[in-house]
Amino acid sequence: MLEISVIGLGLVLLLADLFVPAERRRFVGYAAIVALGVLLVTSLSGNGSCGQFGTAFGGMFVNDALSLFFKQLFIVAVILVLFMAAEFSDKLAEGSVAEYYSLIIFALAGMLFAASSNDFTMLFVSIELITITFYVLVSFQRSKLQSLEAGVKYLILGALSSSFMVFGIALIWGTTGELNFDNLSHFLAQNPEVATSQLFLLGVLLVLVGLGFKIAAFPFQIWAPDVYQGAPTPTTAFLAIGSKAAGFVLLLRVLFTAVPSVTAHWANLLIVISAITILYGNLCAIPQRNLKRLLGYSSIAQAGYLLLGVAALSASGQSALLYYLAGYVFTVMAALFVVTLVMRQLPTEDIGGLAGLNQRSPLLAATLTIAMVSLAGIPPLAGFFGKFLLLKAVIETAQATGNHGYYWLAFIALAGVIISLYYYFGVIRAIYWSKQPADLSPIELSSPARLSIWVCLVGIFWIGIFPNTLLNITNLAAVALGR
Amino acid sequence: MKYEILPWLILFLPLLSVVVITLFTLRSKTVSSLISIGAVVASFILTVIFIHANGFPSTHGVIYTDAKSLNLANETSVNWLTIGNLSVDFGLKLDALSLMMVLIVTGVGGLIHIYSYGYMDEDHSKSRFFAFLSLFTFSMLGIVLANNFLMMFIFWELVGVSSYLLIGFWFEKPSAGDAAKKAFITNRLGDFGFLAGILTFWAMSGTVGFTGLEAWASSGISFGPITMGSGMTLAALLIFCGATGKSAQFPLHVWLPDAMEGPTPVSALIHAATMVAAGVYMLCRTLFLFNAESLHIISYIGGFTALLAALIAVQQNDIKRIIAYSTLSQLGYMVMVVGLNGPTPAMFHLTTHAFFKALLFLSAGSVIIGMHHEQNIWQMGNLRKKMPITFWTFLIGALALSGIPPFAGFYSKDSILAQCLEQKSYLLFGVAVFIAGLTAFYTFRLFFVVFSGKEKSDHAKHAHESPLVMTAPLMILAVFAAIGGFIGVWNDYGSQFIGEHNNWDPLSFTQQLFEPLKSPVAMFIGIGVALAGIFLAFSLYKNAASDPLPAKLGALATWMKNKFYFDELYEATFIRAHDFLAAVADWIDRWILEGAIIGAIRGGTDLSGRALRLAQTGNLQTYTILFVLGVVLLLYFVLGK
Repeated sequence: MLEISVIGLGLVLLLADLFVPAERRRFVGYAAIVALGVLLVTSLSGNGSCGQFGTAFGGMFVNDALSLFFKQLFIVAVILVLFMAAEFSDKLAEGSVAEYYSLIIFALAGMLFAASSNDFTMLFVSIELITITFYVLVSFQRSKLQSLEAGVKYLILGALSSSFMVFGIALIWGTTGELNFDNLSHFLAQNPEVATSQLFLLGVLLVLVGLGFKIAAFPFQIWAPDVYQGAPTPTTAFLAIGSKAAGFVLLLRVLFTAVPSVTAHWANLLIVISAITILYGNLCAIPQRNLKRLLGYSSIAQAGYLLLGVAALSASGQSALLYYLAGYVFTVMAALFVVTLVMRQLPTEDIGGLAGLNQRSPLLAATLTIAMVSLAGIPPLAGFFGKFLLLKAVIETAQATGNHGYYWLAFIALAGVIISLYYYFGVIRAIYWSKQPADLSPIELSSPARLSIWVCLVGIFWIGIFPNTLLNITNLAAVALGR
Repeated sequence: MKYEILPWLILFLPLLSVVVITLFTLRSKTVSSLISIGAVVASFILTVIFIHANGFPSTHGVIYTDAKSLNLANETSVNWLTIGNLSVDFGLKLDALSLMMVLIVTGVGGLIHIYSYGYMDEDHSKSRFFAFLSLFTFSMLGIVLANNFLMMFIFWELVGVSSYLLIGFWFEKPSAGDAAKKAFITNRLGDFGFLAGILTFWAMSGTVGFTGLEAWASSGISFGPITMGSGMTLAALLIFCGATGKSAQFPLHVWLPDAMEGPTPVSALIHAATMVAAGVYMLCRTLFLFNAESLHIISYIGGFTALLAALIAVQQNDIKRIIAYSTLSQLGYMVMVVGLNGPTPAMFHLTTHAFFKALLFLSAGSVIIGMHHEQNIWQMGNLRKKMPITFWTFLIGALALSGIPPFAGFYSKDSILAQCLEQKSYLLFGVAVFIAGLTAFYTFRLFFVVFSGKEKSDHAKHAHESPLVMTAPLMILAVFAAIGGFIGVWNDYGSQFIGEHNNWDPLSFTQQLFEPLKSPVAMFIGIGVALAGIFLAFSLYKNAASDPLPAKLGALATWMKNKFYFDELYEATFIRAHDFLAAVADWIDRWILEGAIIGAIRGGTDLSGRALRLAQTGNLQTYTILFVLGVVLLLYFVLGK
């Protein structure tokens, strides 16, 4: 089974730490990448347990098209993160690289469980597995004060949100006696009066608080910029992609599998949250000079766009969400990879550090430009088609339900795109049109770094130009959700 | 059809060359130029192979039933995009008309590429030049091979862009930059009409494919009225606007003479042999859309352009401008005869014109190089001795242009005159004859001033012959300018246009040679005025040191010299009005849109961004409070009501 192999891999990496000499540690990472690559191919080819859809452990664990989509997404993301970590390894504390790798792998295991969880217990356990590993990953640059500070902030706010979530789960169990998602929705269908009881709704809301924290949606976004900025860059990338995607898969499962009858009444709530998240992220990003902090705000805005797909309350919306997420993986990885490589030698991640990048390394300059353009949503890149699908889903819902809030949401999403152009292109301007580039020495790229950058670029273009393959997969996954 | 892959290769090889040159070999002049030359020559060879395998397929025998079940034997296409009920194929039309044009574009174009290798030898951005040249070849082939209006329009615009790039190639000269802008903007004016015409036809017929449109047009005529009449005329004239721009017809003719600021091979390729021919080609391709009324208007516009340009050419002193006005005049001829329902003579003249006008331009280029970039003909003289090869090739080109038998121009010009008589359009016949005389006159004025008499400057005394890489293409073109009239060109187009409706037997070689005798009136008058023109030029300019004509013609000569003041007229009216509108728009944009509206929005956004940032204090206690407040807010929102 996928999860067991991943945990095994994490343990092996920890052990390898003991036997492999320090200067060969980088290769431990490459070995892990190869192992994950094998797992990815296995899961793609439908061999092993991944191809068999169904539930296990008394319904706690589910394997369907949705979980498979997310598992593959997570594995791809982790492979790229590991590549990045290998490049970043010299900035981590002495001799601790293998630990870093194995923590990433453990977080991956948590995400894989999250993708398959079909029960509130499972949900909580997998989320804690992810979050606790992240506490360590965020504060991994032990010698750097910012990193430690970010770790503490994440820890305290994370603990707070977890406590809300546990409380919520307890309330749900108390009012219904069910923890399994499928059973819960049956129960609600048979006892509609419970679905409107204040206590039960409070429970669901508190669970949403916990998930909202994971995806950094308004009003639980406050931690994101500080933590994104302070964490080691590979961790930032992993937070932006892995942690967020895990939050979204759980959110989808809770909203559309466990309590669909409640969700149907919450259209306005979701619209408001989505709209404010988009505006907040984009507006705050405008005055930022620190590139990682800017990407932190940008990731809040992107969470808002992803929430469009939730708010649409339709299969096409969910499918668009998954599609957007897939494009987002490559885009964010590409952007942060460049940040890692360029900012390795610099004390801060100020945008000014990008000056003259087009002369220092044309490939990196082009990659960052393409990533920014894709995040802004300009054709023919991945970000454009994803946003297009999301807006299309929202408009369709607006036409189907006659709820004018959706039109407003679409309008705000578009306004957000325009605002975002301002700061994304500010980054591009810093690359190409800066006044006095201080340092014009070429940047050396190792061949794995080059490879992963090309993978990201191909991903961005492929998803944007040939949408059909991916769209088929996401449609299947969205269907699985509404079973 | 055999080898269906070949046309695609022919089309895309030049594009490949553009990509390779711009991405990889920009630093090496030699490699870049060889890639570009190789691409166009390979396209030419592939065209020859394709034609050898398939012959010139004609549309003869195609029966149109309805748009769905057409005989598409001479097309190859892939579906490109479907928007609503508009389905557009990316397809290639492969009939006698398009294949002959492909031969011209790649054949004559190939020779010009080779010539450019010598002509541009000392230019430091030769690689860029060849990249543009390949881009142009690709776009031109696209126009020629397109099987629908939309595709043709896209390539049409690409041709506009590449011509802009090539005219302005020496952009450090302000005049070149201005000329490029003028050409592009004037063309855009025409293209606007073209696009409107395409949309009108699409709205009426529901298709943009030529085959579908032809079926629609013929069904409309034979099965009862659909939306014929004035709508049809208007739409056809809009389409003609496109041709007016590209083929430089009155009143959009003003860009072509200025376009001579580009390098001479560009003038030969774009502004003589191919691009300006695109308009005529397009008219012939879509002739089925034009009704009698619109054709009538077109023929008069063509005739007027031809006359106007020929008059102006008489009093120009720049070697390239004379040939440019002559090109305008000849294009007017072609458009006129298209309007007289004669696509075959038009395309015939287009083909021979491509040979001899490219030859004249390239010879002029050779003269210019030999004269160290001197273009004023009154600084030249007696170059016959210094540049013997150029002298002979120029002479052949001049004889062909003047319509002296047995050179190519004689046959095609004669077919045009004959068509005028056949359509009983005696006014246009008279105009055409007069122009023929003028043509011979100004051509040999140029010839005598440049090649005979005394050297009129030091440069002329030290002129030298050009290298082989330039003279070889001249000689090859000279051969075709000499024999182009009777080697089967007429048959090719005839099978397309005449064979479509009637029984058509290709002419034998001898028949071609004596074809003009079928219309002896046209032939003898044509030869007569040409000889008269040459004789007049001989007597006036044989040993002239300056131009004796202004004294004799008085005010008329001044008008001719100043191009009948069209530039000044446009300057005073259109450009003035345009500048005024632009100033108003600029003011609105600057103060109302940008200052008030955008400024307010931008300022507001910026301010709110900065204000929100204040919440992000970095203080953990604040964060925790905000988080809990968020939870309370959420709970109140849902449960509090």
